[in-house]
Amino acid sequence: MEQKNELVLKVRNLRLYFNTRGGPVQAVDGVDFDLRKNEATVIIGESGCGKSSLAKAILRLLPRNAGIYDGEIWLHDQNIMTLDKEAYRKEIRWKRISMVPQAAMNALNPVMKIGDQVAEPAMIHMNMNNEEATKAAVRMLEHVGVPIDFLHRYSFELSGGMRQRSALAMALVTLPDVVILDEPTSALDVLTQASIMNLMKRMKHELETAFILITHDIATSSELADNVAVMYAGQVVEVGDARRFFTQPLHPYSHALMASVPRLREVVEPEFISGQPPSLLNPPTGCRFKDRCPKRFDKCDEEPPTILYDVDRKVKCWLYV
Amino acid sequence: MAANTITGDFNINAEVDVESIEASARKARMQGIKRLVRYTLLKLVALVFTVAVGVYITIVVANMGGAVDKIRLGTIRESVALAATADPAFKTMNSEQRVAYINSRVDLEIKRYGLDRPFLVRSFEYLWDGMTLNFGFSQQLVSDSGSRLVRNILLERLPSTLLLFGSANLILFFVALFAGLSLSRRYGSMADKVVLALAPTSAAPAWFYGLFLILIFAAMLKVLPFGGMVSAPPPDNPVDYLLSLLNHMILPMAAWLISAIFLTAYNWRTFFLIYSSEDYVEMAKAKGLSDRMIERRYILRPTLPNIITSFALLLITLWTGAIIFETVFNWPGIGQLYYRAIGAFDTPVIVANVVLYAYLLALTVFVLDFVYALVDPRVRVGDGGRK
Repeated sequence: MEQKNELVLKVRNLRLYFNTRGGPVQAVDGVDFDLRKNEATVIIGESGCGKSSLAKAILRLLPRNAGIYDGEIWLHDQNIMTLDKEAYRKEIRWKRISMVPQAAMNALNPVMKIGDQVAEPAMIHMNMNNEEATKAAVRMLEHVGVPIDFLHRYSFELSGGMRQRSALAMALVTLPDVVILDEPTSALDVLTQASIMNLMKRMKHELETAFILITHDIATSSELADNVAVMYAGQVVEVGDARRFFTQPLHPYSHALMASVPRLREVVEPEFISGQPPSLLNPPTGCRFKDRCPKRFDKCDEEPPTILYDVDRKVKCWLYV
Repeated sequence: MAANTITGDFNINAEVDVESIEASARKARMQGIKRLVRYTLLKLVALVFTVAVGVYITIVVANMGGAVDKIRLGTIRESVALAATADPAFKTMNSEQRVAYINSRVDLEIKRYGLDRPFLVRSFEYLWDGMTLNFGFSQQLVSDSGSRLVRNILLERLPSTLLLFGSANLILFFVALFAGLSLSRRYGSMADKVVLALAPTSAAPAWFYGLFLILIFAAMLKVLPFGGMVSAPPPDNPVDYLLSLLNHMILPMAAWLISAIFLTAYNWRTFFLIYSSEDYVEMAKAKGLSDRMIERRYILRPTLPNIITSFALLLITLWTGAIIFETVFNWPGIGQLYYRAIGAFDTPVIVANVVLYAYLLALTVFVLDFVYALVDPRVRVGDGGRK
């Protein structure tokens, strides 16, 4: 087995609940995963499974109705959950963890020039003056393929692809340890999607950065993934090496997910998963997938343990006990 | 920190072509100015055209599309005939001479009033006169300097109106802006609820609150003047004059503020709240910006265009209350003049005042449009589309 890269981010038992009128919504419920340098961990799951809440929990972007928020987030050897608000803002946000949002269209300030927006984090977190920050912004913009002319344009003057590239440059300009990509290509057409994915693949190798890719798009994510974490109803049900996950998924839900992806060279009809994901307001006890699981048995009414499978794969299912 | 390490072909210290950055900045600046100028000129032309159309329609309606000329002809004939009977020479004439005499006098009068030319031609002359506030002499009112020229009467009073409403609206704008921002910061709080509860008070016009303020602060407490612009006689010392002026402005401005502030602040607070939930605000938070920076760059700046639109609409409705407002506070502006002109049936002054209000309205819209273009790059582009 090849030498493993340095561990950058270690998330342990992360929880984020939202208080609603009906009670707490368990959006992120005890999530564990690891991230290594120059690697990408893909968080896969269907809509409403808590993927985006996970991204917010890592960056501590909590809405007003956030309730329970605990667990451990180790960035190198520092538990960043223990930092106070101001220290977190100054030391972690964008300096060490940045993000590329879902729709870059809305993620760029409509009344600020692209160059200023990309340079802004460098000015705040790297103590650069305006000129240095602009230079840093230009370097990164050119690196991701945005021409220098766009520096003084506004976001509404850019195409969707250019906007996404600008957002990526903005996320990378401070050379953070971790970049969270929250469905970065889902608002783009297929061709632009492909070029952005290729760009991110290149960035992963060229910069000393680790990516967390949050997506529901299994097919495109396989391009970038080194590790895969499958989320279901606020929990990670399977996590492990990407290549082995894509060829041989362990959890019944992962099976079902993989079966729902159309294949290019095989004549296999895509299958769909029957039923609905459970409400995060009152998730069922025991395994949360049991109602939709084809392999359900008596044990499933109890909370399944997380099982170490092979050396580096974990699955939360009674089948592998 | 990872910033000093280099991997792949990205070089953190790579040379950057400063020359081309500056060239691009210059280009963008030039383009921005060009767009701004074009936008401003277009707006200006549109507004002047709007005022002209409004005044022209008024002229055509007031003349009943030229039908009034017939009435005026009749009046001229009658008055000429009446004047002729008083002339001793007229009595010695025979009937043909009399008819010829009257006709020649009538023709003279028609020429004098310009009625010999078609109404269409004259309507445009009236338009020009109207637009330049050239309304001849007033029938009753006299300006403070003793002039009976309508234009002088109006222009003499314009500065005091501009002073009062300019400063009152400026204060209203900034107070509402900061009140709205601070309410949006803690929505649902006690202050927020109080402002919401007080918002309906804006249904009453400013002069209504003015009456109460005068009653309380001038009549009962006797701390502020009842009205007027400066104390009588006006102080000679410019500093004293200014202080007296400010003293007289307190009550009208307070009334103006009270009548609009609660609804406006509540309105703008809602704008800010809507814009606070935009994705780029969340991104700014993720970027690690301080709360103040987020508020200024990511909430205030993108919301400002909407705020300005709302303010323009507010001002247009507020102008209509200015007439009674100035009368209540005995403020020597064009509103009070309008009130007096109506009382004295002084038609030229009334009509000229209407035109002047049209100008003020257009000017308000123009200034706010210009500010709008300054704060919102999307407007300057015009086609609003992508490149």
